Amino acid sequence: MTHLCSEQLSDCALGEPSPAARRHLEDCPACRAELGNFREALGAFRGAVHCWSENQAQAALAVHGSPSESRSWIASHQLALALLLAAVCILTSILWRPGANAPSSDAVLLNQVDAQVSRAVPRSMEPLTKLVAQE
Amino acid sequence: MHLSATSELEGADQPNVAVAQDFEALVRLYRPKVFRFALASLRDLDAAETVTQDCFLRAYHARDRFRQDCGMQTWLMQIAVNLIRDQIRNRRFQFWRRASLTAQPADVAGHGMADRALSPEAQTIINERVAAIWVAAGKLPERQRTVFLLRFVEDMDLLEIARATGMKEGTVKTHLFRALRAVRVRLGGTA
Repeated sequence: MTHLCSEQLSDCALGEPSPAARRHLEDCPACRAELGNFREALGAFRGAVHCWSENQAQAALAVHGSPSESRSWIASHQLALALLLAAVCILTSILWRPGANAPSSDAVLLNQVDAQVSRAVPRSMEPLTKLVAQE
Repeated sequence: MHLSATSELEGADQPNVAVAQDFEALVRLYRPKVFRFALASLRDLDAAETVTQDCFLRAYHARDRFRQDCGMQTWLMQIAVNLIRDQIRNRRFQFWRRASLTAQPADVAGHGMADRALSPEAQTIINERVAAIWVAAGKLPERQRTVFLLRFVEDMDLLEIARATGMKEGTVKTHLFRALRAVRVRLGGTA
């Protein structure tokens, strides 16, 4: 018995078998099994692609959906934090007056200069003056 | 023009799909199909989403030119086929490199027939066959892959595929034969 050729099997897979191919399929279990397996594989492929596509679409929705939500969440919290920091800065500048209680750095510097200028001799020469005084 | 999807919601993809109530309903109805076809063709999620969005954008702008001589699905697929062709040609040098990174055969095969009460062995065999078809489809020339996916994933008949691809019906059939032969060889059958 001559089995169905590739084109005849393709015709059958496309759902358009010739009358001769149809008759052959009725009598030939091998060709019937081959066509059945092929159709089953194509059906499984179709189902798998459909299912995969749906999953990919949902995954894309999750990927593109959640970042925007998280971004908006982060943005709102960043704004709140910035406002809080600004409020703290304003309050600090109002309540804290530098120099109100402690001496200013200018005053300290002037005192140091006064102390240096009021010396009779520089600090490095003070031992000499002591020797001269002993003599 | 209003593009109606109501008649097709009832299961008829008639040439006289004409009047529509709203474009949003049309997008809701056909978006999964267009996206699936784009994803199976390009095997890249981002590219498939881009093509799907562009497809409906073009359809919206060209809604006045929809001539109703073919079904709405066929018309949208026609737009999608052209967009996918452009995508492939624009990205020819990086296409398969990206595809190999994004959609592995096992990714797709793992989704097949999960709801059927199959033994683990039978499930493995089915998964292997699905993976083999996925690989074979990926290696098909562009036109063969397009007609193969439209026929065996989107269940379109030869006339609809001919209209969607702009080929003659006989040419579609020739491409389908060649695609099926390649797939059967990959599955271990005779050419």
